[in-house]
Amino acid sequence: MENLSAKYGKTLNLDKLTSYCPGCGHGVVTRLVAEAIEELGIMERTIAIVGIGCGGFSHHYMDIDAIEATHGRAPSFALGYKLAMPENIVFTYAGDGDTCAIGLGDLLHAANKGMPITTIMVNNTVFGMTGGQMSPTTLVGQVTATTAKGRDTALQGYPLLVPEMMRSMEGVKFLARESVATPKAIRKAKRSIRKAFECQVRGLGYSFVEVVVPCPTGLKMRVRDSYARCANEMTDYFKPQVFRDETEQVDVA
Amino acid sequence: MIQETLFLKNTETFAESLARCGVKYHFAYPITPATDVMKRMAVILPRYGGQMMQMESELAVSSALAGAACTGKLVATSSSGPGLTLMHEAIGFMCAAYLPCIVVDSMRVGPGDGDILGAQSDYFVVTRGGAHGDYRTVVLAPSSGQEIADLVPHGIRLAYRYRIPVVFVIDGVSAQTTESTTLPAYNDYSAEFDTSGWAFTGTKDHAKRALITGSYSHQDGYEMNERLRAKYEVIRDKEQMWEQDGVEDAELVVAAFGIHGRMCRDLVSRMRADGKKVGFIRPITLWPFPDRAFEALGSCVQNILVVEMNLGQMVDDVRLAVNGRIPVHFLGKTGGDLPMYTLADMIAEADRLLGE
Repeated sequence: MENLSAKYGKTLNLDKLTSYCPGCGHGVVTRLVAEAIEELGIMERTIAIVGIGCGGFSHHYMDIDAIEATHGRAPSFALGYKLAMPENIVFTYAGDGDTCAIGLGDLLHAANKGMPITTIMVNNTVFGMTGGQMSPTTLVGQVTATTAKGRDTALQGYPLLVPEMMRSMEGVKFLARESVATPKAIRKAKRSIRKAFECQVRGLGYSFVEVVVPCPTGLKMRVRDSYARCANEMTDYFKPQVFRDETEQVDVA
Repeated sequence: MIQETLFLKNTETFAESLARCGVKYHFAYPITPATDVMKRMAVILPRYGGQMMQMESELAVSSALAGAACTGKLVATSSSGPGLTLMHEAIGFMCAAYLPCIVVDSMRVGPGDGDILGAQSDYFVVTRGGAHGDYRTVVLAPSSGQEIADLVPHGIRLAYRYRIPVVFVIDGVSAQTTESTTLPAYNDYSAEFDTSGWAFTGTKDHAKRALITGSYSHQDGYEMNERLRAKYEVIRDKEQMWEQDGVEDAELVVAAFGIHGRMCRDLVSRMRADGKKVGFIRPITLWPFPDRAFEALGSCVQNILVVEMNLGQMVDDVRLAVNGRIPVHFLGKTGGDLPMYTLADMIAEADRLLGE
């Protein structure tokens, strides 16, 4: 068998079959994260703290130490870890349910503390693993297992714009939303994820990247249609952009 | 830091003892009557190269504690009833994850928001477990400042030997008591243990490690629980601790922990001076509960009186330990201007049971 790590680097474990569903956006984001770690040469000192849900699988495809946290608490786990071991690089990886439903308090306080940790939030607008229930980022009118007539703003409010909530936080030094809807979008997402890690390596402060992805299974859509939705309705509301990039400033690490 | 005798509030004695015995990182949220632990930690930990981190809730406190414990370094937290309730998500997690840590619970009146007065009302939640699943934490119940200082090194060793959270419980009255305590010289007791075989410190010197407490197959879940069961059986067998006096020929044995346990020494010496055959058992480990102390009681013992600052919690364990062999009576209350019994109250109840 071909030695895949010689070609793609050591971080990504390509010999392992993923348990992501066909067409799932997690596969792309997991690879981008692994590539960022590989390119920055930080594999041996990087720790993944993953959430509960499909995002929790991500560490299985990277040959780095990993901690499967309790649901929503990965940012707090990461703060404790970073305090005790500041020389290591620690990032959290979880979906929209883990990150901004049950974990929103932990997330915003971690961001506001401004310690150099990195959060990757993979937003597919739905609770995927439990079978397609509404999440805080479910679009208005979107039909899910728990919003049979579509998300009703009178009862459920509007989809949560998470990075927008961090714009006024001084300790957040890199803040972006990207998507994996098209090859071009994936290249942009790769740049932002790498910058988010770089931000931590250089000790600048907190970094956050939301990545908008399709979930064909949870949305009960064909893969092609789910990517079209990602490129249109999803990114019309969740607009990809770099909100803040202070990685150009002087190193403080 | 050298060995020294200080006149301290016992919450501060916890902070001093933990820092002097190697705790580097302390996570907490303000709550009466436990706040003095974090206040003193905030001041003293930087002198030891450590840090106290205040979090936004006890939920975040215990999660950060778990994250820090993953590095193998010695970490601690302090709280009181309502805060401890929130911490149980991560306490149960740390049991499943084999993570060592120290938790200090300064017990107050509950349930609900309760009252800030001292109580012993968290016995159930610490010995039965406030989180889901079959798990245990070691629970130590010091009854004085000096016993806090003496037990902290032992607690740290238990936390690392068994890779388990160790919970110190103290009634809020003892927590607020100011008394002289001889504090130990600095020694990091966690350094006696090699954590390089399990800590999640990066793959520089080991192959990928993943901390997984969920089961990916039903067999995984079964085996995880069987490993825990085996560990808990060892702890139950080896780690029971208690103090006792006068039980050999006693007609009445008084059982109490914490401050009422401390008062039992005076109770027994006074009643013995009057020729009354009274002894006492003061559990020091609440889990594992010192069953052996009760199993060893002779046929001379006609009654056991359990005194607690709650509505009857440890009394259940005493009843299980004697298994119907000896009648077990209970004297307990919680809350009020004086949330505990005086020595005179305890002696009066003991006299009543002696038929006097």
